[in-house]
Amino acid sequence: MIRRTIAPTLSNTPLDAPNHFVMTFHAPELAREALPGQFIAVAAGGGMQILRRPFSVYSVDPEAGWASILYSVYGPATSTMAKMKPGDELDFIGPLGGRVFEADPDPSCHHIMVGGGYGVPPLAFLCRNIRAANPNARITVISGGRTKNLLVGTDGLEEIGVTLEPCTNDGSCGYHGLVTGRLEEVLAEDQTAHQPSYVYTCGPTPMMKAVGDLSIEKGVPCQVSMEVFMPCGVGICMGCAVARHDGTYARGCTDGPVFPAREVKW
Amino acid sequence: MVDLSVRIGSLTMRNPVTTGSGTFGFGSEVADLIDLNKIGAVCVKATTTHPRTGNPAPRIVETAGGMLNAIGLQNGGIENYLSEKLPYLRGFDCPIIVNVPGEDPEDFAYVVERLTEAKGADAIELNISCPNVSHGLDYATDPKATAEVVARCRRATTLPLLAKLSPNVTDIRPIAQAAEDAGADGLSLINTVIGTAIDARTRRFKLANVTGGLSGPSIKPIALLHVHRAASAVKIPIIGMGGIMSATDAIEFLLAGATAVAAGTANFINPGVALEIAAGIESYLRANDFTDVSQIIGAVR
Repeated sequence: MIRRTIAPTLSNTPLDAPNHFVMTFHAPELAREALPGQFIAVAAGGGMQILRRPFSVYSVDPEAGWASILYSVYGPATSTMAKMKPGDELDFIGPLGGRVFEADPDPSCHHIMVGGGYGVPPLAFLCRNIRAANPNARITVISGGRTKNLLVGTDGLEEIGVTLEPCTNDGSCGYHGLVTGRLEEVLAEDQTAHQPSYVYTCGPTPMMKAVGDLSIEKGVPCQVSMEVFMPCGVGICMGCAVARHDGTYARGCTDGPVFPAREVKW
Repeated sequence: MVDLSVRIGSLTMRNPVTTGSGTFGFGSEVADLIDLNKIGAVCVKATTTHPRTGNPAPRIVETAGGMLNAIGLQNGGIENYLSEKLPYLRGFDCPIIVNVPGEDPEDFAYVVERLTEAKGADAIELNISCPNVSHGLDYATDPKATAEVVARCRRATTLPLLAKLSPNVTDIRPIAQAAEDAGADGLSLINTVIGTAIDARTRRFKLANVTGGLSGPSIKPIALLHVHRAASAVKIPIIGMGGIMSATDAIEFLLAGATAVAAGTANFINPGVALEIAAGIESYLRANDFTDVSQIIGAVR
């Protein structure tokens, strides 16, 4: 059920990446109901900016009743959020998103997450859910950033047996190059080993297009979480149009945000 | 006891707050967030003869104190509305206003007739002022064209008929009068204000459609003046809209001469806002010793 919630924040922690924060807040219903790929629409006093801002759910603890988001400061609303202290109230609507990441049920599947920047958080959420459902699932996160300290969202994943494959444009950490370069190698290794793979991606649109195109070319199924401006988040404004190959437009918020890569007309 | 009910032609609203077309979907999308049984009326997304795919993206950009939209009337068409959207909404005790755009008077009249015979609406709002699909002329920028559409639709239905007028005119009064004379039971105003936005970094227009309709708090002063002017020129009731975010905003429209109001862009931020506004109007009336909302309509001094 979609709710408007005024949630007390529990923590608002700066990350090593400049201007990046993880905010946790008390929200038992959201923690119980949110699925990987879903998001919340936050109203955070953006001055002359009146619309809510969408943030993917990063992590949840249904027992303790908290959820978190990972965000970077880029405008008035996120600047306001960055100043929030524990106990300050977060006004959000959620959980939002009609179609979410769906893990391939094949137990032998190699789940490959490809994320860029703050596209990684929903993939981290998906990793934890896949692990909880299958202790033996093979999971890899290929995450990209311009430089080492811009790689965010993968904290705690190695501890649950997720293989991390960082990629940096300047070679300061992991693979020197784009995520698609490393993805191509990983898919080739899987193919040689007759290992079925499945790709899930979230990040900047050019990255997701490249990941989607590469996956389609290699015959590997791929889900993309579309990064489109979502004015309302609940399906009433028709503003977050995602073009489909059949010539129609889907709503990024309620028909998505996750789409099969082959459906999207970039 | 405060009486909040108002009438628009033969349509009775239990409180004077409805929703701007295109800002509330078909009700089902937001049913978790607002009790549809308590709303004054639901005005649904524009419904056309045939399905429309809408404009390419980007369709919406945020501006200072508002937003520009160029959705392009994306909708599933009248038959889809009647079979897929209407049954859900009829499960609630709320009047339904259907917004009807059209290519020409016959096109308008076709949808109006279908809505009438299928009992698909409790009132019809003729969208003669959408800034995003016109072919060089919005009907509502010309009194004769306005009268032509309204008169044709008047012959097609006995349902209450509203004409939704454009703010993109020098003087709204002759257009309001033309709609009244042609048989409109009420007016909705304003539609969005035409505008554009440019990205200095990419040196491109921000909207794929180049132009869009401005809405939100930034247009409220424009809307208030048009409502006040139109109210001075006609006897039929007006549903005032344009940047209404709060009960105080809504009260200003009532004082300007509107009989009812619509929350539009505010729904995107708070889909429950229509009921919060209705409650706020009630508190204001009570606090100021009024017993009936009609006592403040047009009461600006």
